[in-house]
Amino acid sequence: MNELKERVKELNCLYGLTKIVKNTKYSVDEALQNIVALIPPAWQFPEITCARISFEGGKEYTTKSFKESKWSQISNIIADEKKIGVLEVYYTEERPLQHEGPFLKEERRLIDAIATLIGQFFEERRVKEELKKKKIAPYVKPISGKKGEDLTRKKQDWEVIIDLLIKTDPRTLLRITRKMTYYLYRHGNEKITDLQNQITPIDSKSTARGINMPNPRTDLKSLVTFQKHVFDIAKESIPSDVISELFQNWLRSDKARPLLLTSQKTGVPLSEIREELTRFMEKTDIETSLSEEDTIGIKTAMIRRFITDRLEYVNVAKSYFELEDFIQLLSNIIGPAQGSGKLGGKSGGIILAEKILRKEMKTDALLKDVDFPRSWYIASDTVAAFVHHNDLDDVFHIKYLDPGEIRQEQPFLEQIFKNAYFPYEIVEGLRGIITAVKDKPIIVRSSSLLEDSYGAAFSGKYKSLFVPNLGSEEERLKALMDAIAEVYASTFGPDPIEYRRERGLLDFNEEMGILVQEVVGTRIGPYYMPSYAGVAFSRNEFRWSPRIRREDGMIRLVPGLGTRAVDRVGNDYPILISPFRPELQVNTLLEERIRYSPRYIDVINMETGLIETVEIEELLRNYGDQIPLFNQIVSVHEQDRLVAPNVMLDISKADLIVTFQNLFDNSDFLPKMKRILSILEEKMGSPVDIEFACDGKTFYFLQCRPQSQSRGMERIPVPKDIPREQKLFSARRFITTGQIDNIEYIVYVSPEAYGALDSREKMLRIARIVGDLNNKLPKRKFILMGPGRWGSRGDIKLGVPVRYADINNTALLVEIAKEKGEYTPELSFGTHFFQDLVEANIRYLPLYPDQPDIIFNEDLLLTAQNRMADFLNGGAQTEPTIRLIKISDIVPGGSLRVIMDGDAGEALAYLKPADHWDWRVQKVKQIAKSLDPELYGIQALYVIGSTKDGGAGPASDIDLLVHFRGTDEQREKLLEWFSTWGKKLDDENKERTGIKTGGLLDIHIVTDEDIKNKTSWAAHLTSPYMTALKVPLEKEPL
Amino acid sequence: MATKTVTVPKTTKEGFNPFKMAQQQFDRIADKLGLDQPTRELLREPLREYHFQIPIRMDDGTMKIFHGFRVQHNDARGPCKGGIRFHPQETIDTVKALAMWMTWKCSVADIPLGGGKGGVICDPHNLSEKEQERICRGWVRQIARDIGPFQDVPAPDVMTSGQHMIWIMDEFQTISHGAFQPGVITGKPVALGGSRGRTEATGYGLVYILREVLKELKMDTTKTTASVQGFGNVARYAAELYTQYGGKVVSVSCWDQNDACSYGFYKKNGVNLEELLKITDRFGTIDKDKAQKLGYQITPGDDWLTHDVDILIPAALEHSITAENVGKISPKVKIMICGANGPVTPEAEDVLDKRGVIVIPDFLANSGGVVCSYFEQVQNNQNYYWTKEEVLGKLDNKMTDAFYHVWDLAQRKKVRISDAAYMIAISRVAEACKMRGWV
Repeated sequence: MNELKERVKELNCLYGLTKIVKNTKYSVDEALQNIVALIPPAWQFPEITCARISFEGGKEYTTKSFKESKWSQISNIIADEKKIGVLEVYYTEERPLQHEGPFLKEERRLIDAIATLIGQFFEERRVKEELKKKKIAPYVKPISGKKGEDLTRKKQDWEVIIDLLIKTDPRTLLRITRKMTYYLYRHGNEKITDLQNQITPIDSKSTARGINMPNPRTDLKSLVTFQKHVFDIAKESIPSDVISELFQNWLRSDKARPLLLTSQKTGVPLSEIREELTRFMEKTDIETSLSEEDTIGIKTAMIRRFITDRLEYVNVAKSYFELEDFIQLLSNIIGPAQGSGKLGGKSGGIILAEKILRKEMKTDALLKDVDFPRSWYIASDTVAAFVHHNDLDDVFHIKYLDPGEIRQEQPFLEQIFKNAYFPYEIVEGLRGIITAVKDKPIIVRSSSLLEDSYGAAFSGKYKSLFVPNLGSEEERLKALMDAIAEVYASTFGPDPIEYRRERGLLDFNEEMGILVQEVVGTRIGPYYMPSYAGVAFSRNEFRWSPRIRREDGMIRLVPGLGTRAVDRVGNDYPILISPFRPELQVNTLLEERIRYSPRYIDVINMETGLIETVEIEELLRNYGDQIPLFNQIVSVHEQDRLVAPNVMLDISKADLIVTFQNLFDNSDFLPKMKRILSILEEKMGSPVDIEFACDGKTFYFLQCRPQSQSRGMERIPVPKDIPREQKLFSARRFITTGQIDNIEYIVYVSPEAYGALDSREKMLRIARIVGDLNNKLPKRKFILMGPGRWGSRGDIKLGVPVRYADINNTALLVEIAKEKGEYTPELSFGTHFFQDLVEANIRYLPLYPDQPDIIFNEDLLLTAQNRMADFLNGGAQTEPTIRLIKISDIVPGGSLRVIMDGDAGEALAYLKPADHWDWRVQKVKQIAKSLDPELYGIQALYVIGSTKDGGAGPASDIDLLVHFRGTDEQREKLLEWFSTWGKKLDDENKERTGIKTGGLLDIHIVTDEDIKNKTSWAAHLTSPYMTALKVPLEKEPL
Repeated sequence: MATKTVTVPKTTKEGFNPFKMAQQQFDRIADKLGLDQPTRELLREPLREYHFQIPIRMDDGTMKIFHGFRVQHNDARGPCKGGIRFHPQETIDTVKALAMWMTWKCSVADIPLGGGKGGVICDPHNLSEKEQERICRGWVRQIARDIGPFQDVPAPDVMTSGQHMIWIMDEFQTISHGAFQPGVITGKPVALGGSRGRTEATGYGLVYILREVLKELKMDTTKTTASVQGFGNVARYAAELYTQYGGKVVSVSCWDQNDACSYGFYKKNGVNLEELLKITDRFGTIDKDKAQKLGYQITPGDDWLTHDVDILIPAALEHSITAENVGKISPKVKIMICGANGPVTPEAEDVLDKRGVIVIPDFLANSGGVVCSYFEQVQNNQNYYWTKEEVLGKLDNKMTDAFYHVWDLAQRKKVRISDAAYMIAISRVAEACKMRGWV
C-alpha cells in the first residue's frame, strides 16, 4: 500500500513539474522556485524533506526552512552536455535504511528525472531567449528525437511526461498506453486495430492454435515499441491539446488508486478504509480528479466490501451510491477495528432502498414526507470477535449436533451469551448509539449474510428485539448489549440451523450482521407506538379476488408496532389492502369487516419497559384523542354502517373499529405506497417487500428486501422432469407463489358425488365429516380437494359448507371447477374465510381440470385405498362422497409436494418418493451383495424398522436382523465387518444430510434358540404381521 | 298429489333442488288441507318471475352485464315481502323456494304481506363499493315499475346491508319523480326510516311465543330452565326477556374465534347476561378464562343440548339437532323453540315428536323479524315513528295472536305444531286467492 502511495506522490510531482515547465508566464526564477517546492511532498517523509537547486553561477533555490544534513541524495543538472548545477534532497532526521541511505529506489529515479527536466528546461529557456534576441523563429533542440524528425516542432507536455515515465515509472506508462489504446479503439481508429492484431492475432489461420489454446505471450520489450506506435498513432489522429487533457485526467485519476486498492483488496481492516476514504474525500476536487470508471470501481469495491457480492445488488447500488455516502455509512458501522465483516442482507436492503428513494424524493412531491429512521450497522464479524473474546468458540460446532440437543442447548446458550462481554471497541461503538438515541426505544434486527448471499428466506428465523432504552446510560447500554447477545444466540438456535440443514447451508460460516434502528413512534399515555405500521409487498401472493392481479401488490397494516403485521398471529387480523386495487376489499360485508378487524395492538410500555399487547378498544377509548391520525385509523360502527369519525364523535360511547378507511380514502397513503413499491421494484429489478411505520407526521421507511426472501414467498420453479405418472394435478390460473411439502394425506370430496347429493342435510353432513377429519389428521400434513366453493353458505350445493374450524389444519385448500356443459362454476378464492387462511398460512389453489394442458389424475384419487376407517367411527367411514388417500399407499414412504410458481403462473402437485428410505434400501442391497454367508455362518438377513416400512427419515437407523448359525469366532468377525460398514454409512449419510448419526447401522443377531423361544428380536421373524423383510443374499447361505 | 311437471331452468338435472323440496312440503300440507287443483297449481309456482340484465360500468371502465331477478310468489294478502340477495352462484330454484317460504312466514304471522325474493348474481367480494352501488341502482331501474310500498317491498338478505337498501330507496325515489317513499324497502338505518326495536324483535318475538307455550303447558316460567345455543342477537335477546320473565337460562354457547370452536358456558343457578356481556367482545366471543373466574363451567359447544332443562333454544346453526345427537337430549326437555333457521332435521323432529317434545318451528318462532319489518313499512307509509316500547308492544300482540291460531289448530286437529303452522299459513293465502276470485 505504501509503495502505491509513493507512486502517486511521484506522479503528482511529475505532473506539477510539466505544468510549471510549460507555463511560459513564469520567469526562470519563479519556475525553479516552484519546482523545488514540489519535491518534498513527493518523497516518502515530506515533513522532514527539504531540497535545493544550485547552479554553477552560485544561484540557489531552496525549500522553506532548508537545512543540510547527513542524509542526502544528489543529482547533477546537465545542459548542453555539461554540468550546470546540482539538485539535492535532504532528510532532516534519521529514517530507516532503504535502497540509498534512507531513500527509496524510486526516489533515486525521481531525483534524476527532475534534474534532467530542469536541465532541459534551462536549455530550452536559454535557446528561446537567444532566438528572441536574434528575432528568428523558435528552435528547440530535441531532447531525444530520432533523426529526420521535425526538429522545429515544439515538444508537447504529454510527450515530456512520457519521457519522464519511461525513466521513472514504466508501469504507469504501460497503464497510460493501455488507456490510450482503448481511447483510440473506442473512437474507431483503424490503425490501432491493425496494431492490436499484430500483437494478438485474433483471427489466426494457423491450425496450431485453436480457441482452446492460450494466446502466445508478447514480450514486454516489444510492448515498449508498441507504446511508441500507439502514441505515434495518437499524435497523428488526435489534436495535441486533447491528448494533453486526456493525460491530465489519467494522471489525476491515479490519485484515487490507493483508495481503489484499499477498497478492492481483501482483508483490509475497516479502520484503514475509513481513514483512506476520509483522506481522499478531504481533497476538494473529487469530481475532476476521478474518472467515471474509477468512481464506479471504488463504489463497487466499497459495496462488495461492506454490503454484498451479489451482482444484482451491486449492479443497482453502484448507480445510486455516491462516494460521500460511504463516509456517512462507515461512520455508522460498528465492528472490530481490524475486522473485515459485512453488514448483511437486511442492512444492505434498507441502505439501497434509502438511496433510491432519496434520489426520487428530490423530484417527487408525493414522497416529500418520507424519511428513514437513524440506523447503525454492526458488522458481521463482530459475532466472531464476541465469541473469541469470551472463549466460546465451541458454539460454532453446535450446528452439527442433533436437533434435539440443539433445542436443549439453546436457553443455556442464550444466558451464556448474555453474560459474556463485548470487546472494548464494540462496547464503545454501542455507547455511541446510546448517546445518539436518547429518548427513543431502539430495535435490534438481525441482518443475516446467508439471507443475502444465498437468497434463502431467513426472515423470522432469527430474532428482532426491542430495547426500550430506559434508565441511565450504563443501564441502556447493558440492555442494548443483552439484546444483541440474544440475537447472536439465536444464530445457534434449532430453527435456523434446521432450516440451513434442509438447504445445505450448514457449513457456511454464518456471521450475523445487525441493524440497530430507532423505533418510530410517539408517546401515548404510558405507551410508545407509531400510529400505524405494516409491511407491503409489490406482488400479491394472497389474491382475494380474480380481479386482483399479482402485481397489484398487498399491504398488511396495523395500528401500533408493526410486529402484528409482520408476523401472523393467528387469532388477530391486520387490515389487508391491495394498493393498486384498494376498492376491492378483502372483507366487503359489515360483519366481515368487523370480525376481521385488528383487535389487539402491540406497544412499548415506557413505564415497565416491556412490549405489551393491549386491546385496541381499550386503548382507543382511553387515549384515542392523543393518537395522531386517530381519525384515519378508525371507523365508527353505527346503524349497520361503518362511517368516518367526525367532530360529533364521543370516544367513550362510540363503537370504534380499526379500518384505516379514512387513511385509504382521504390521504396520500395509497398513492405513496404505490409509488414506493413501483420505484423499488423497477430499480431493484425484482419484486420487493418493505416495512414501514408512521408516527403521525412522517412516513418512515424501515426495511426493504426482495420479496422472494419473504417468509413463504421463496420462488421455486415447477420441476420439469417429473414423470407423468407421478403428477397428481397441475394448474395454470390464479397461481400464487408457495410450496407445500411432505403432505401425507389427501381429503378428496368427489365433485360428481357431492353434486348428486339430494338434501341439504347430506351436504351438511359432508361438512361435518370434513371437520372431523380436519381434527384427526396430522396438522398441515394433508390437503383438502373438493368441488367449487369451500365454505358455501345459503346455496350449499355449490360447495361443501364448512366453517373455518372445519378446515383450519389443512395445508392447502383446492377448489375444483369442473365444467358443467358450457359453464364453469365460479370459485370462491377462499373468500368465506380468506383472512383466516392468510393468517394461518393455508394456501389456496383453484383447479380447472377441463382446461387444455391441465393434468388431473382423478383416477388415482378414486382408486387408491380409502383410509377413512383409520380415523372415523360409525357411518362416516363409508361415506362414498369423501375419500381419504394416504400417499404412502401409492408411493411407499413417499409424500405429496405442491409447487406453485406465481411468476410462471403454473403449479404442480406430484408424488415424491422417499429418498431417505430409498437410499437405505440401496445400502441394504449393497450390504447383502457383499456379505459372505458361508464365511460368517449366516442363515438369512432381514431388514426391519423404518427402512422396511418406508418411514425412514434422514437420521433413521438401518435395522438389520441376522439369523446367525456360526461359531463365536465367526460372530466376532461378523460384528467387526458390520462395524466397518456402519462407519462408512455414517460418513455417507452425513455427507448427504449433514446429520451426524453415529451407529446408523444397527445389527441384531438372532439365533435358532432365539427363534425357538421367540426371544427379543426374534419376535420380528415369528410375528404374523410380517414386520421383517428378508433380504436376498448374493451367495446362497449354507 | 299434483302431477304437473315443473320446468326448472338453470339447474343440474339430478341432486338437491331446494324448490322441489319446498313444493313437496307444500304438496304434503295441501293434501292435509284438501286444496283443490287450481289453488295447488297457483301456489306451487310463483305468480311472477322477473329476469333482467343489469349493465354496469365497472371501475376500470369496462362494461359488465349482471343478471338480476325478482320472484313474487304471492301477493294475495298484501305486497310481496322478501330479501335481495347478492350471491355469485344464485340459482332461480333457491330464490323461488325462498319466495314461497316468505309467503308462508308472513301468513303464519298474520301480517298483510305476501312473499317475494330477489337478487343479483354477483360476488360482492369481487366488487368495489361503488360497483355495488351501481348494481343496486341498476337493479331498481329494471324492476322499479313492479316494486313499491304497495306492490313488493325488498329487504336486506345474503350479502346485502342497510347501505344497499338506502341506495335502492334513493334510486327508487329518483325514478318516482322525487316522491319520498321509504316504504319501498325495509332494513334501513333508524336515521333514514328504519324501525326501532329491530335488534330485539326476533329474540323477543320468540320469547313472547315461549311465554304462551308455557302457559298452555301450565308450567310456571319462574320454575323453568332453558339452555340456549348461541350468543348472537337472537340468543341474547331471547335469553334476556326469558330471564326477565323469571326463567333461568343455565347455559349459553358461543363461537370462540381464538380457538376456532364453540364453547358452552354453564351455570347451574342461571347465567347472568349482564356479566357475560361485559366479558364478551364485539365479535360475540365470551372470554372463557374470565367466565371461569365468574364461576361458569366451560363445556364443549355441542353440550348445550344435553343439559337437564325444560326448554332448548337453538339459535345459532342450521341442522344442529340431527338423528345422531337427538338421543343426547335430556328426558326433562319439554319444549324446543327454534330461533335459527332449520336447526332440527326432519328425522330428529320425528324422534322429538314421539317423545312428546313440543317443537315450535323456525318460521313461526323467529317471525318477529319480519313482523318488525312490516312495522317499519307501516311507520314509513304513515310517516310517523313509534318508540321502541310501542314497537315491542305491538310485536307482542302479533306474536301471541299468531301462536294461538297455530296452537288451537294443532290441538283441534291433533297435528304437530309445525304442520299446524303450515296449514294455517297456506290456508290463509289460499283463502285470500279464493276471495279475490283467482281460483
